[in-house]
Amino acid sequence: MQTTYSGRTHSSTSALSKSARNQSASKLALRSAVGIVLFLSTVPIIYLFIRAAQKPFGQTIDLLFREKTSRVLGTTAILVLAVVVLTLLIGVTLASALHFIRLPFRSLLIIPTVLPLAIPSYVFTYTWIAFIPGFSGTFAAIFILTLSTLPYVILATLAGLRSVDESQIEVARSLGLTNTEIFLRVVLPQIKGYISAGVLLTALYTLSDFGAVSLLNVESLTVTIQNLYRASYDRGAAAVIALVLIAFSTIVVIIDDRVKNRAKAGEAVKAPTSKKVFIESKGTRFFTLLLLAVLFILSIVIPFIVLITRFLDNRVAINWPDLLSASLSTLLVAAIGAMIALVLAAPLGILLSGRSDKFTRFAQRIITIGHGLPGVVVGLALVSVGSKLGVIYQSIFFLGFAYALLFLAKLVASINASLARVPSGIKDVATSLGANPWAIIKKVVAPIAAPGISLGTILVFLTAMKELPVTLMLRPTGFETLATEIWSSAAINRFNEAAPYALILVLIAALPTFLISRPDKADRMFANESMGSEK
Amino acid sequence: MTPKHRIGLVLGAAVISISTLTGCSSGSDQAKDVTEITVYSGRAEEFIAPFFAEWEAKSGIKLNVRYGDSAELAAQILEEGENSPADLFLSQDAGSLGAVSSEGLFTKLTSNVASEIPAKYVAANRNWVGVTGRARVFAYAPDRVKTLPLSVADLTKPAYKGQVGIAPTNSSFQAFVAALVENKGQEFTKSWLEGLQDNGVKIYAKNSAIVEAIDKGEISLGLVNHYYIWEVSEALGRDINVKNGFFVAGDLGNLINVSGAGVLASSKKQSTAEELINFLTSAVTQNEFVEKTHEYSLLEGAKQPEGLPALLEIGAPTIDLDSLKNILITQNILVEVGLL
Repeated sequence: MQTTYSGRTHSSTSALSKSARNQSASKLALRSAVGIVLFLSTVPIIYLFIRAAQKPFGQTIDLLFREKTSRVLGTTAILVLAVVVLTLLIGVTLASALHFIRLPFRSLLIIPTVLPLAIPSYVFTYTWIAFIPGFSGTFAAIFILTLSTLPYVILATLAGLRSVDESQIEVARSLGLTNTEIFLRVVLPQIKGYISAGVLLTALYTLSDFGAVSLLNVESLTVTIQNLYRASYDRGAAAVIALVLIAFSTIVVIIDDRVKNRAKAGEAVKAPTSKKVFIESKGTRFFTLLLLAVLFILSIVIPFIVLITRFLDNRVAINWPDLLSASLSTLLVAAIGAMIALVLAAPLGILLSGRSDKFTRFAQRIITIGHGLPGVVVGLALVSVGSKLGVIYQSIFFLGFAYALLFLAKLVASINASLARVPSGIKDVATSLGANPWAIIKKVVAPIAAPGISLGTILVFLTAMKELPVTLMLRPTGFETLATEIWSSAAINRFNEAAPYALILVLIAALPTFLISRPDKADRMFANESMGSEK
Repeated sequence: MTPKHRIGLVLGAAVISISTLTGCSSGSDQAKDVTEITVYSGRAEEFIAPFFAEWEAKSGIKLNVRYGDSAELAAQILEEGENSPADLFLSQDAGSLGAVSSEGLFTKLTSNVASEIPAKYVAANRNWVGVTGRARVFAYAPDRVKTLPLSVADLTKPAYKGQVGIAPTNSSFQAFVAALVENKGQEFTKSWLEGLQDNGVKIYAKNSAIVEAIDKGEISLGLVNHYYIWEVSEALGRDINVKNGFFVAGDLGNLINVSGAGVLASSKKQSTAEELINFLTSAVTQNEFVEKTHEYSLLEGAKQPEGLPALLEIGAPTIDLDSLKNILITQNILVEVGLL
């Protein structure tokens, strides 16, 4: 009797622990995968520490405390701060207007606000220099970088606004709150986390950008790093300054973390039944359309006019086979990059969808911090490692891998933002009903997270198409992309000859931006899913 | 074209790695076994590709050319070290060659390589040789400059107030400032640069921008390399109102820079790479450089670019080009005076 009893107990506990073991085994597998991704994405940072350590300590100290370092740091801080404040003000205003105000062709109006993503910063800057001779300096850089990064904040804010519980707005309105009060007290607390994610990408973009600042003669950290490589071939010194940049982006990530943590508590999930509330006001409608028109002219019309003028001025016959092959190469290698990024981001995304533990969040932060590094640094780190790998080095796959590492943070950020929309309650219910973790991911998490994941993948694809410094270093010898073709004409001042390549690049890149800017589609996916689960 | 290229590349890489495994001894490659070599070219495709094509046709050996910026390619070679896929590095300036040479990544060229190039355009340790000459000049608008400057020191005089353009970030300008530091000392260089600023010097991002600005009438005179008047006029597709001028003999403003080449110590195809250097420095090819890229041939008695004095008549200062590779001091001075 006693034996049977104990036997039964034994068997039941073993069944229980078996499922628990399965769960923990899959979690362990995921964590090791995240560990590998974390290691890969810290390669550039490890490389920097090794290079910096090779420099005599005294010289490192001199370099860090020379007057110029603080000046450059100041310039960079002003740049980042100004761009963040401006994109925050303009981006959130515009996104909210697009969301709440009844406008004609609303979903079409979103497209031009996202379109600047299709224009590489060096092309955008160049067109403005051509448009206004003598255009340079810090204000010019703030102007260019704000226009280039606005889409990140607008996209993130729009995603946040779509998750806002509209019924709360109705309640607030019935209580007599004004629109401004509703926005500040009801809406803003719910979308803070989203906005912060967009602002984070903006800040890191500004930190790592080289194209715009160098063309505009602004000495930011990235320009100093480049100058140290170029003028003194001093890789140790460049590494020291790059580590200063890493410290800077760490601060940015910590600030973002603080904002998000505070935002988490108030975050709600949109009730599927709530109806959209619109603001009807001629004044706001006019103001919104005006703002949209101004931005459209500054960031799309003017660059296009310059590019088309240059294109028409180009007297050299276009080399169509080269143009076609460069276009295909660009698409191919950017697609490889986006796919690899997706594979690398997957384990992290899955773990983040659970009750995220310290390790996962740590990994996510480190990956994000690395996103602030300029291409040259990541490129040289990968040259250092990759050149030991034989055939893989300077293959399209290695270049794709480099893109994946360079832009992984964009994917992680959008996965993270979309996972915030997965109500944790749903997962608890599913778990208690006995669904295994994979089933939960497949049936519950994936459908809700899908729009964010595809948005992130498209962002990686898009930025990879425009990437220049890493492409120059890691492309197969003789393999030319649109970006390298633009560079080789621009390097010898044949801007007219670069124009066809630049136009094609912008046009090709515009296609994925259309996809990104169609949020209604993403919304519908979300709505269908919720309705489906109700049945 | 692209996929084919890629397959070729993978195969090529496979061949390389197999030959590595089977242990070819470096430097003693049999020219007949070599079917292709890899060149890292800091010189622009537009100008150098015709020369490469000519050699490919002549030798039957394929060139895999990686185009990039000279300094960035040098940094890349430094990172690749022993594992560099490059056999030959062709650079726009001596500084990048010096950087690779000082890390011991170039091999000493055999004595029959570029033997006609005068010693002053070859690294003392024969790690690299000059391929073409580039003279520093002042470009000017002939109708607007009444008195031509005799020395760079003249540019701080009131006659040129607000009329002079320089490109402080440009590597040939920095090489010139390095030569000033080397010969006249840091104090002189600093006060000269400050004098320029007090005289309202205009700053440009590139040599070509200076030439364009002279043509447009923004300034009348600028410190550039001699071939930019052709480069700008070809890019604009018209004649420009800019001429080259030289300072008096021996003035540091007449510095001759070189573009040059070195063979990687890690290359398994060194003798083929050396053959390419011999082609580039041969009398015929040197003449073509003069005609097509308007650079100076480094060979003695060679003809000069149209309308310019011969290389020996320029009155260039005697400068060891190898000594200009570390321009950190120069950069610090430029930073101190606020030009960088």
